[in-house]
Amino acid sequence: MATSPSAVDVSGLVVSYGERRALDGVTLSVPVASAFGLLGPNGSGKSTLLSVVAGLRTAQEGAVRVLGEVPSPELRRRVGVVFQESCLDPLMTLRETLSLHGRLFGMGGEALRRRIDSLLARFGLGERAGDTVGTLSGGLRRRLELARALLPEPALLLLDEPSTGLDPDSRRALWEHLHEVRAGGVTLLFATNDVTEAERECDTVAFLHQGRLVAQGEPAELKAGLKRDAVLLECNDGRAATLSREIAGWPGVGQITPAGATLHVTVDDVSAFVPRLFQAGGDGIRAIRMEPSTLEDAYFDIAGAPLHRSEEEIS
Amino acid sequence: MSGTAMTLTAWGALFGRDLRAFLRSRSQLSSSLLFPLMLLAILGIGVSDGLDPSRLEDGDYTTFLVPGIMAMAALFSSTFSSASFYQDRDSGMLKVFLVSPHSPAVILLGKSMGGIAIGSAQALAVLAIASAFPAIDLEYQYGVLPSLLLALLTIAGLNVLLSGTAQLLASRIRTMQGFHLVMNLVFFPLLFFSGAFFPLGDLPAWLRGIALANPLSYAVDLLQLALYADGGDGYIGLGPDLAVLGGLAVALFALGARRNPMME
Repeated sequence: MATSPSAVDVSGLVVSYGERRALDGVTLSVPVASAFGLLGPNGSGKSTLLSVVAGLRTAQEGAVRVLGEVPSPELRRRVGVVFQESCLDPLMTLRETLSLHGRLFGMGGEALRRRIDSLLARFGLGERAGDTVGTLSGGLRRRLELARALLPEPALLLLDEPSTGLDPDSRRALWEHLHEVRAGGVTLLFATNDVTEAERECDTVAFLHQGRLVAQGEPAELKAGLKRDAVLLECNDGRAATLSREIAGWPGVGQITPAGATLHVTVDDVSAFVPRLFQAGGDGIRAIRMEPSTLEDAYFDIAGAPLHRSEEEIS
Repeated sequence: MSGTAMTLTAWGALFGRDLRAFLRSRSQLSSSLLFPLMLLAILGIGVSDGLDPSRLEDGDYTTFLVPGIMAMAALFSSTFSSASFYQDRDSGMLKVFLVSPHSPAVILLGKSMGGIAIGSAQALAVLAIASAFPAIDLEYQYGVLPSLLLALLTIAGLNVLLSGTAQLLASRIRTMQGFHLVMNLVFFPLLFFSGAFFPLGDLPAWLRGIALANPLSYAVDLLQLALYADGGDGYIGLGPDLAVLGGLAVALFALGARRNPMME
């Protein structure tokens, strides 16, 4: 069977910060022209993996090949990067921002001017070309960063949580642009901890947990392997938190995801869970629905830990 | 585009960006030029008229101060320019530069070029403005053009040395506040013991020893020889000045450019 070519191949990657292993033997392969998501909580190693692929960091162990080559400054001509946090000079204009980047990539003259004009128009930034970056909204800044990353026409685009902090409209607009980019044959490798985004946008998702790759596959495939049932509990006012604490200790109960007055709960066996639930706190429950499993459930099932840590854990 | 052409284009882009940022920052532009000029006027006239420094040529302290104030302008400017490294690191721009197809050394050199050019331009602006005043009578003992070229070379060398030192310090100090503190603690004593404010020739031996261990003394001495002095008595001398300044500038700049720009 013929294998499709890979845009990124990493094998046995180890990166440590002092005593802590940020990446611990990660091996994965990103097919060309695919959308590949790295899903994991903060600190799981997603950004570190992207920085190794981008050539910003060297792994202590393991091998990396990007677009068939060992990472080098020359290879970076073909790789675009959008960082998690906004990386822009607020005092530069939009045109200056793109021009500086183009010149760093060896572009210049009329060709660069035309490319900048075309990108500004494509991303709806043409009228703001002479404004300083500091006057842009978060959504427009993200668009500018995407335009900047695409300026040298990369074959691989690395995005670190590209939609974090964006409102729903900006998020949708960003993904519309990314769909166009992908349709042009560019491989997308992005880190996210947004399950909906990963489920909707990825051909392949890799679950990272504490620097290790714990699963990899198509979103539907990962969910199909889930051994648990998912249940949505609609609780009466003020009962969700109490109920969540109570059922958390029951055997067979997995991931509990609260959202306002509802709890999304994964359980080993729904036929044993529901009767016990009514015995313990039936008067606090308004409705129970069987739910389709999410990637978040699959992550919990496979990694044995939640994708999103509670506020208590974070503090 | 060839590798060399790409590197030159990248340097041009980074240099142009820092220059534009400097010219747009009116407060930085005016304060870094006004302070040396105020010092030249107030300290120079005050000492010339009030203390009668008879050991100086013609007793003219204001003219004596010009080379030292030029060195000080370069030093101030270099401190400001090095701070832009921290701004770029904090704004994330440094990461954007580092994912371009250039080595970290090329990026750091490109960023230093802006600082070197701005520092040199400011020092020469001090000279140009000071020369316009009739009370300031510079000697140009090697002839006007050769002396000016020597001053230009010295100022450029001094800025290369300061830029390399600042880059080395920046590799050890994580915050901009800490960097400014250390720059003040290191650079101001260097300035005071450099002969910028008083001639080294008549100092006690121990103080002259300290001055000779100070790299800035050689730059100030060169500037004094080029612009102010009428002969070489009491000065370190052209040969040692050029050797020490040139050697240190190249060595410190090379060391500074080799550091890890992300500080990890």
